Amino acid sequence: MTSQTTPLAKLASKDAGQHWYKTLTTAKKVLASGMSEQEAIARAQQGDAECFEALYGLHKRRVYSLCLRMTGNTAEAEDLTQEAFLQLYRKIATFRGESAFSTWLHRLSVNVVLMHLRKKGLPEVSLEESMEPQQEDGPRKDVGTRDNVLAGSIDRVNLERAVESLPPGYRIIFVLHDVEGYEHNEIAEMMGCSIGNSKSQLHKARMKLRDLLKQSKAEKAAARH
Amino acid sequence: MTCAEFQKVLPYIIDGGGTEEEQHHLASCPVCSDLVADLRYIAEAAKLLVPMEDPSPRVWNNIEKNLEREGLARPARRSS
Repeated sequence: MTSQTTPLAKLASKDAGQHWYKTLTTAKKVLASGMSEQEAIARAQQGDAECFEALYGLHKRRVYSLCLRMTGNTAEAEDLTQEAFLQLYRKIATFRGESAFSTWLHRLSVNVVLMHLRKKGLPEVSLEESMEPQQEDGPRKDVGTRDNVLAGSIDRVNLERAVESLPPGYRIIFVLHDVEGYEHNEIAEMMGCSIGNSKSQLHKARMKLRDLLKQSKAEKAAARH
Repeated sequence: MTCAEFQKVLPYIIDGGGTEEEQHHLASCPVCSDLVADLRYIAEAAKLLVPMEDPSPRVWNNIEKNLEREGLARPARRSS
């Protein structure tokens, strides 16, 4: 049952067509007009403000999510999203289409975040590790103990929480590799570390996540009893 | 090969490779095979983390102001 004030009732009214168009975001209006992203980019390169906004609308979520996952802080993530898009617009005239626009924007965003973290002095990754085990890397006490497997027990909410809990260095590598799909050689180049270091940090991140997720699973099981 | 020895090299072989001895240990050791299964499962589950949140409207507002100030964009017509 709908009242006259619900969106559904408004859509059913005589001027539904106009109303529907008015509720569209700029991004959708630009694309609803039949313009492709490629055309929107070309127009943005000429300074078309509506196309700037359309491109922002199309890509803001992914850029913001990346910044948020890498920093763990909403205010910082918003500032970095703003900075990433400003840099994009300043450089957009140089985009030649050799890579996908989203890839170009994504790399730019990663660089903005990494620059920010370097300025903060946060350890992105530990210093180049030797192959010899450090104290914290020593064989785990339970290394030979069989443990319950995680398969089938992870949901998005728990995983998000666990990722947020990771130390910054581990979180960055995990986000770049497992969430965003960068290869180790690309991460090594971006982070100024070796491929071996990238692999080692990723492993530590996954091990830490495993511990957090198992802990969460055990707490839930205990709460049920 | 012990579990400790295998787990020391695991970061570098989890995506493929490894010596015959390491592969054999993985195939025959339930502890290490469970561990590898968990780590691979976590890596797969990461793909669930699709972008879900939008930044607040202030982000675009600030971008727009900067674009106008820097002369990069002509002010957008406001739709009523």
